[in-house]
Amino acid sequence: MTLVRYLVRRVWHSIPTLIGALLFIFILVRVLPGDPARLIAGPEALEEDVQRIREQLGLDRPLHVQFIDYVSTILRGDFGRSIKFGTPVINEILFRLPYTIVLALVAEVIAVAVALPLGILSALRPNSKVSYITSIISLVGASTPSFWIALILIYVFSVSLKLLPSSGAESPRHIVLPAITLSLVLMGNLTRITRSSVIEALSSNHVLTAVAKGLKDRVVIMRHVLKNALIPIVTIMGLQVGNLLGGAIITETVFAWPGIGSLLIDAIFFRDYILIQGIILFMVLVFIVINIVVDVVYAYIDPRIRDILWRMT
Amino acid sequence: MEDDLILKKASEARRKQLASMWRVFKSNRVAYTSLYVLVGILLLVVVSFVYTPYNPYEFNLGRARQPPSPQHLLGTDELGRDILSRLMVGGRYTIGISFISVLLGSLIGSILGLVSGFFGGHVDTVIQRVVDVALAFPTTLLAIALMVSLGPGVLSLIMAISISTFPVYTRLVRGVVLQVINEDYIAAVKLLGRSSWYIIFKHVLPNVISPIIVQTSYYLGFSILLASALGFLGLGIPPPTPEWGSMVSTGRVYLFSSPHIVVFPGLFITVTALSFNLIGDGLRDALDPKSRMFLRRF
Amino acid sequence: MEKVLEVVDLRVYYEIPQGTVKAVDGVDLEVFKGEILGVAGESGSGKSTLALTIAGLLRPPAKVVSGKVLFKGVDILKLGNDELRSIRGRRIGIIFQDPVTYLNPIYTVGFQVGEVFEAHRGGKVGKYFSEVINLFKAVRIGDPERRVYSYPHQLSGGMKQRVLISIAIAEKPELIVADEPTSALDVTIQAEIVELLNEIRKELNTSIVFITHDLALLLEIADRIAVMYAGKLVEVGRADEMYKDPLHPYTKALISTLRYERKRRPTPIKGSIPSLINPPPGCRFHPRCPYAISKCSQVDPKLSSVGGRLVSCLLVGGSNG
Repeated sequence: MTLVRYLVRRVWHSIPTLIGALLFIFILVRVLPGDPARLIAGPEALEEDVQRIREQLGLDRPLHVQFIDYVSTILRGDFGRSIKFGTPVINEILFRLPYTIVLALVAEVIAVAVALPLGILSALRPNSKVSYITSIISLVGASTPSFWIALILIYVFSVSLKLLPSSGAESPRHIVLPAITLSLVLMGNLTRITRSSVIEALSSNHVLTAVAKGLKDRVVIMRHVLKNALIPIVTIMGLQVGNLLGGAIITETVFAWPGIGSLLIDAIFFRDYILIQGIILFMVLVFIVINIVVDVVYAYIDPRIRDILWRMT
Repeated sequence: MEDDLILKKASEARRKQLASMWRVFKSNRVAYTSLYVLVGILLLVVVSFVYTPYNPYEFNLGRARQPPSPQHLLGTDELGRDILSRLMVGGRYTIGISFISVLLGSLIGSILGLVSGFFGGHVDTVIQRVVDVALAFPTTLLAIALMVSLGPGVLSLIMAISISTFPVYTRLVRGVVLQVINEDYIAAVKLLGRSSWYIIFKHVLPNVISPIIVQTSYYLGFSILLASALGFLGLGIPPPTPEWGSMVSTGRVYLFSSPHIVVFPGLFITVTALSFNLIGDGLRDALDPKSRMFLRRF
Repeated sequence: MEKVLEVVDLRVYYEIPQGTVKAVDGVDLEVFKGEILGVAGESGSGKSTLALTIAGLLRPPAKVVSGKVLFKGVDILKLGNDELRSIRGRRIGIIFQDPVTYLNPIYTVGFQVGEVFEAHRGGKVGKYFSEVINLFKAVRIGDPERRVYSYPHQLSGGMKQRVLISIAIAEKPELIVADEPTSALDVTIQAEIVELLNEIRKELNTSIVFITHDLALLLEIADRIAVMYAGKLVEVGRADEMYKDPLHPYTKALISTLRYERKRRPTPIKGSIPSLINPPPGCRFHPRCPYAISKCSQVDPKLSSVGGRLVSCLLVGGSNG
């Protein structure tokens, strides 16, 4: 019951942040040079037509009124109409969203499958070969530009070996290279966090108590080291969604993967400001929601937090 | 008289501490080597102001897309321009912009954090809200959004990256400030009639310096990646400026035939970011007493 | 009297970047059945390292450089991991200093105590809960039936310490090492815990090595006391005798701080504890000793017998000179 209350509380506290973000996105688009009405009307249009469109879109009204309008349309789920395609923005987003989700999930699975075992092992066996490999992977992930890795992978696997496709999303094989590229960024971070989290847990005093009880080493490690280390790791995994979103933009662009990341870049190329606005807003919303979920899950896992919350509410 | 002696001993102690930190850093061979590598790259960039093997903007289609050779150490790009020269000049932008942006971001962020933590109340709430909004955006997304709005160019890039990086500093500094001012001895210092500025410099600053330095080193690496990513997406500095990221982007079309056009700029980006990251690791180990192998149990 | 523990010329060193820390540098001790041996020393005297070594819990970077720790005649320093495990928690128990960090925050206290039974009797922790409740009653944790399901952060400091004590005594060990068991607690709770330990000693006829910096505490509860300074023992003897007639200058200074009258202030011992990496030459206490002579800086005295007491000082009888 208290978890639900915490959830409500978190949502309540996110509202000002959300409004702030909306304001920011709103200003972003208004600051742009160029007259949206003219853009929509086209360069040949007559002044009266441009004026008509301007009135239609409410662009001639004072800014704060425009903002309130904007917020109320958003609340109704209306993200506007794309300038380029003429279709509702929300439709465009929802159509391509599944591709991004699939890519993100596969990338996350790969990253976790590699980073967690490596991180744990390298913490348990410092100065070993495993530890060395782990350091290299985490450094590579954190230092190489993903667009470059993508191109190198394309060169090796698509061009030279002709094993894997380099663009599009027609078959399951198409996801391999993009997912690996995206996962590398995550892996870099995750291995490092996992390793330091396990090392920290290993040097905790309660581990000494566990050993003093005469428990088997394996039990001590599983129960008193790993489970404790897992808490910060899971938290970080949740927060990595931000990296996923940002990384997806680049990865999707390089591999022409039809998700919302490449949609954003396309929209930028077409100067479709309504679409740009909508995608950014959507991504921010997703990010905020995920953060809330992570907070609640974290509260669920750690009994200390649970009690602090109980006392707070 | 005694005061002088105490002050002298204190500054001596501090010098010794710095010397020992430097020694620990030096003992980390990886970090130390990275320092050399970084200096090497910076040297190349600095040299570019006086000399480059070729004019980075002059193109010569007859010599286009040539692989590395004695005449062109890193080959030529799709328009026949010497890649090494372009990388040297491009470094001014990629590295220079990263430097300035992160410095700016850390400065603004730290000052905001100080103000926020110190004055509390409404000021704190307002600043915190702004930081919350900034952190509600994934960093890359925020930078992209800002570049779309501000338009391409060096100034926009600097602004975009500074804005993307300052929130973390604000949170960091504010946290330390709150921790310090709640300590009991601060009440004693205040009673002694010392001004707030004194407290800031003598008590807050020393505690806040090391996390800031470590964070900055990591952010420098990150901003190199961010700046070049923006360049790659076409959102950075418009061509023909040889920004490293945009060099990868324009060279992409010739990936099949002349991969070196893409490989070398990316390599430079990687090595630079790598050096910053490794130095950051080394700094963290040298500055954080907890991570020294003193009383590890297991 | 039966000897439960015998420490022979134990040396335990750590290697750190700044040098070699000689935490325990030649310590000889005996612990008899059913007695409470107090080990007194300031922080930095090496007593915690001694505690961990006796309990068989030493880990890198600490290393036993030489010496023996004979528990019931068996040198536990030479035992393999499996044999050590069967001793830990069952025949030698240890009570740690800080109940907050030594308990795992994500498991219930009942579970953590039950683990001792699981380790030595097998099966699942769950089936030992009723025994844990009995233990809680024995260490006087109120409302034990409910408390077994509590998490550490829900208990007070004193209760947490009682949980640690239950863990130590669960399998009725023959030796308990208590490393500053009361230092993190309020004075009133301290007294209760000390009471409790005394009862446990009587009930189980177990020996307790009670390590603390609080000499006054030891004078109340310990049968014999060993005073430790800079990695070495300076005086060992019966508690009541030491209080009446301390022989080593360090012990004298410590006792005098306890015995001051209202009007006079205690005189602090001048100087500070020496570094364990670079201890002073000769007698380690000589820089701070009001009786030091020139020979004290050259010769390091050994513990020798002076009428039923063991003292290491050139100026106190024995064949040291």
